[in-house]
Amino acid sequence: MSLLSIQNLTVEFSTPDGVVRAVNNLSFDIQPGQTVGLVGESGSGKSVTSLAAMRLIPNPPGKITSGKILFEGEDLVQASEARMREIRGNDIAMIFQEPMTSLNPVFTVGNQICETLMLHKSMNKKEAWARAIELLDQVGIPDPQRSIAKYPHEMSGGQKQRVMIAMAIACEPKLLICDEPTTALDVTIQKQVLELMFDLQKKYNMGMLFITHDLGVIADIADDVVVMYRSNLVEQSTTKNIFTEAKHPYTKGLLACRPALDKNPERLLTVSDFMDDDGNEIKVNEERTKKVDKVYKVDKEKNPVLLEVNNLRVQFPIKGGIFGRTVDHFVAVNDVSFKLRKGMTLGLVGESGCGKTTLGRSLLRLIEPAAGQVIYDGIEITKLDKKQMRAMRSKIQIIFQDPYSSLNPRMTVGEILMEPMNLHNIGANKAERVEKAKWLMNKVGLLESQLSRYPHEFSGGQRQRISIARALAVNPEFIICDESVSALDVSVQAQVLNLLLDLQEEFGLTYIFISHDLSVVNFISDEVAVMNQGKFVEVDKANEVYLKPKEEYTKRLLSAIPKGIPKELLAEQA
Amino acid sequence: MEQVLAKQTIGDSEKVIKGKSLWIDAWYRLKRDKIAVASLIIVIFYILIAVLSACGLLAANWAEEVGPSYAAPSADYWLGTDIFGRSVLRKVIHGTQVAISVGFFSSIIAIPIGIALGAVAGYFGGWIDELVVWFYTVFSSIPGIMLLMSIAFILGKGITTVYIALGLTTWIGLARLIRGEVIKHRDREYIQAASSIGLGHGRKLFKHILPNVSHIVIINTSLQFQVAIKSEVILSYLGLGVSGQPSWGTMIDDAKLELARGVWWQLAGATVAMFVVVLAFNILGDALRDSLDPKLKGK
Amino acid sequence: MNSSWNYIIRRILYLIPVLLGVCFLIFILFNVVAGDPVYLLLGKHASVEQAAELREQLGLNKPLFMQYLDVVKSAFTFDFGRSWSTKQEISSMMIQGAIPSLTLTIPAFVISTILSVLFAILVAFYRGKGIDLFIRVTCICMMSISVLVYILVFQNYLAYEFGLFEISGYEYGFPDFVPYVILPIIIWVVLTLGPDIRFYRTMILDEIYQDYVRTARAKGLNEKKVMLKHVLRNAMIPIVTYTVVQLPFLLLGSLLLESFFSIPGLGGMTITALNSSDFPVLKAMTILSAIGIAVFTLIQDILYTVVDPRVKLQ
Repeated sequence: MSLLSIQNLTVEFSTPDGVVRAVNNLSFDIQPGQTVGLVGESGSGKSVTSLAAMRLIPNPPGKITSGKILFEGEDLVQASEARMREIRGNDIAMIFQEPMTSLNPVFTVGNQICETLMLHKSMNKKEAWARAIELLDQVGIPDPQRSIAKYPHEMSGGQKQRVMIAMAIACEPKLLICDEPTTALDVTIQKQVLELMFDLQKKYNMGMLFITHDLGVIADIADDVVVMYRSNLVEQSTTKNIFTEAKHPYTKGLLACRPALDKNPERLLTVSDFMDDDGNEIKVNEERTKKVDKVYKVDKEKNPVLLEVNNLRVQFPIKGGIFGRTVDHFVAVNDVSFKLRKGMTLGLVGESGCGKTTLGRSLLRLIEPAAGQVIYDGIEITKLDKKQMRAMRSKIQIIFQDPYSSLNPRMTVGEILMEPMNLHNIGANKAERVEKAKWLMNKVGLLESQLSRYPHEFSGGQRQRISIARALAVNPEFIICDESVSALDVSVQAQVLNLLLDLQEEFGLTYIFISHDLSVVNFISDEVAVMNQGKFVEVDKANEVYLKPKEEYTKRLLSAIPKGIPKELLAEQA
Repeated sequence: MEQVLAKQTIGDSEKVIKGKSLWIDAWYRLKRDKIAVASLIIVIFYILIAVLSACGLLAANWAEEVGPSYAAPSADYWLGTDIFGRSVLRKVIHGTQVAISVGFFSSIIAIPIGIALGAVAGYFGGWIDELVVWFYTVFSSIPGIMLLMSIAFILGKGITTVYIALGLTTWIGLARLIRGEVIKHRDREYIQAASSIGLGHGRKLFKHILPNVSHIVIINTSLQFQVAIKSEVILSYLGLGVSGQPSWGTMIDDAKLELARGVWWQLAGATVAMFVVVLAFNILGDALRDSLDPKLKGK
Repeated sequence: MNSSWNYIIRRILYLIPVLLGVCFLIFILFNVVAGDPVYLLLGKHASVEQAAELREQLGLNKPLFMQYLDVVKSAFTFDFGRSWSTKQEISSMMIQGAIPSLTLTIPAFVISTILSVLFAILVAFYRGKGIDLFIRVTCICMMSISVLVYILVFQNYLAYEFGLFEISGYEYGFPDFVPYVILPIIIWVVLTLGPDIRFYRTMILDEIYQDYVRTARAKGLNEKKVMLKHVLRNAMIPIVTYTVVQLPFLLLGSLLLESFFSIPGLGGMTITALNSSDFPVLKAMTILSAIGIAVFTLIQDILYTVVDPRVKLQ
């Protein structure tokens, strides 16, 4: 008997605009001790599925309208609320995506772990406390005796997720549901947490439903994979089969659109290379799939240096004392120097808090550097006055991370695109500017007719295209992309990366590409700088850094990236 | 490549697709709420009465003696008469004009002060922020009713006093809200983007930030009206309110002496008139918050 | 730890500019804008000499700056001088008035806080259901009626017509005062229930949609435990701190209730002073309330760090 058998599950949400079907006629099984990966992009219905298995869908507005969820043969859809409470936390446990918000901030982690034990294992406070310490030790929390009395905010993100895991395995559940448990974590932490989960799963022989958008992670951890697309299951197979002989065009697209660390096609493949809008398979252009070695743009090596940064330092004051005077400084960017030639892309990678975003903004003087020089095309930017700096701003542009907050929600796309043109006197009159705005829309793959629309009427990827168009509006030479594709689904991410490359080729743009995602940076960059604690650890040509890393930190970072190759395949290759 | 991308965007027609702004979106959301629409109609109805009365088209003859003193409500005198034999109905109508004007003029005083101080403090931060925060902390350290009372007392009786006293006490809450909201928007990426194209402070503040916080003003104005209408009653009781013309406050205040004699209709008339419009403003305020700030929906 | 003390000291020191500002505001209102009060006191027909003498006596012929210093001095020494109408020492009037005020406000505050928190929990628990709607509609209706109407109607019908309560008056000492404060307390509770229930409900619902609540449910806790342990403990943070800033108002009593029910508290005293243009008493009450509010806002800020483990003072 399957541990969990989902049969023809349909979940619907009622919204003011009508009923939305979040999960449509979904069926799959999990065997005891088996890990099933559930893959899909945002809005595919994967999280709703996981909540449905726990019967935790907020009702209203959500409702399981048909189907069965059999847990060891018992239909959870029909189970009483009291029965569900016995099962939750005891037989089925769950780990969520956001460790920051998923723990109650006002209780100690010990209290929160004990709660589960006392509820399901009828332990008294003392027994539960002792067991909680064991559990914390098991999930690798240092000094569990002391850590148990800590509040969640006193721990790092990775530790919080470990606490969540300890809480989930406290009652040794038969099934563990993990909803994007490592998405919010840095890559090195992600690796540790995944290894921990894998070990625990083996140790307790738990069935596991692992939900993620990241196929690389799935390859490392899952036995079987279920792929969801627009509320439907499109493919289900063993992990090895999915990676070697995927059948559904969407799965193929999903596998192809993620940049690899070694060879990539000139332009990334996207889902739309495999499938049209109606879900029909289309023949893939063979030319597009050809993978090439990463080539350093040798022809551009002789280009003039466009940007030179010398000993740049950016710091933030730490206030203290009775009058809140500045008592110390937090150095976010520490003594950074580099050169960037015209037409090249410098990738800036590092984990969260390493100073890469601050560095990007200080180059534009959105944050004033404390010391050092930024020389752009022979002009020392750091010395310019307000007026000169304003003129300079048409040459250097920035594209931000969050497609939801980087566009003014009260302005139409047309207004957003024409504002910089007005300011920098681009175009002789309004008519010319409108023409240019239309041209920009075409350039970034949007329709001219959408100029009078507002940002909230676009999807995340489309908004990012608008941001790119806004940056291009002033005819810049140099663009800083600050995590510009990080918030996007992988298939959309590939499209935006391709667009950035096309634009670079067409207009000879120079990029600094900031990201925490090493494979993306590798794909788009000519040179890569690895940053840690405000300093450059290593700067070199991209393939040098990736294939022959010199520094320990870089090696650690690279080895933490999920390979995206199932274990069995790795074994076969070896 | 280009074609593939274009296909993924929404439309297929090449005619201009008119966008729906957040305001229109909010309006659609508001329209779905039947009770909110009813409240809006009530508010508009009251404003209409107030305007007609102010133009002398309605109840201009409120001072006229129409019947005996303290006639109970009847077919002749719908809401009865007061001590001087004046029609209570006309007084209620004239009171509507006073109530709406108090809300309106006190808003006219409070809104510019609140927006200016809140926006400047939130946007510039630093010592300007500290100064503004100190300034409104000083004002808010005095209980609202005491400050209102003191200002009204010093300016002397009269309707202008009511406008000014209310205007000068209600800007504080608005300034605080605007400041908080501006701080939230100041660090958003679209403002960073505006900086990166070289926009100056003025345009960033007026063109980008203020339109994004202006919904606060609308929600707040709805609350301002009901606070103003309720405060007018208290000021009337304190002898600092409207004089020389009837208002809901003076009518309720008159009831001090009338109730014991069994004369309840003047109190009832003013109370019901006030209840309906304050309730409407209350519901409208909530509905505006839900529709203009959808993040808060359901809370 | 060190930085928390720095914060507390800084917050206490911040009281100084705030109080100086309050004094300046009061000075502007009463000494500059209000103009010459002597004819208010002596009547229109007083002679010029009489007026001059009174001005001298009241310290109104001093330069404006010195008058401002007088206001500041009174705020820091609590010596507010004498009332113009009763000629009594204002500080002793305040001490006398505080007791009747507190006998009204403390029970009223305790009852209304307990009731509104209980109702808010109930309403949040049954959110979206009939009882939630009913209580919310009742709240919003109750808020739409003027305070004066409640007082007039309750006093006239419940006390005067039906004789259920004392109409007005006060007696010192327990339990003699009890019959006099019951009706004012009822009115206070009726007045505050509406806005308080709505406020607390919002605070609780803010928490209900947080991720940690989902985690608690995923553990298998029942809805009651989720609500009473996880949600309420978090919602208590704003509720407790909101309650604390209400406390200074208790001392000040209720202007309207005390005046209507002839309770000789500080609120009634203020109204009397207003009607007799008694500037020193009005100024003293304003300063006292400002000090109270400033101090309790400070306590509120410090309290945040006690009830919320996340807040580190800075």
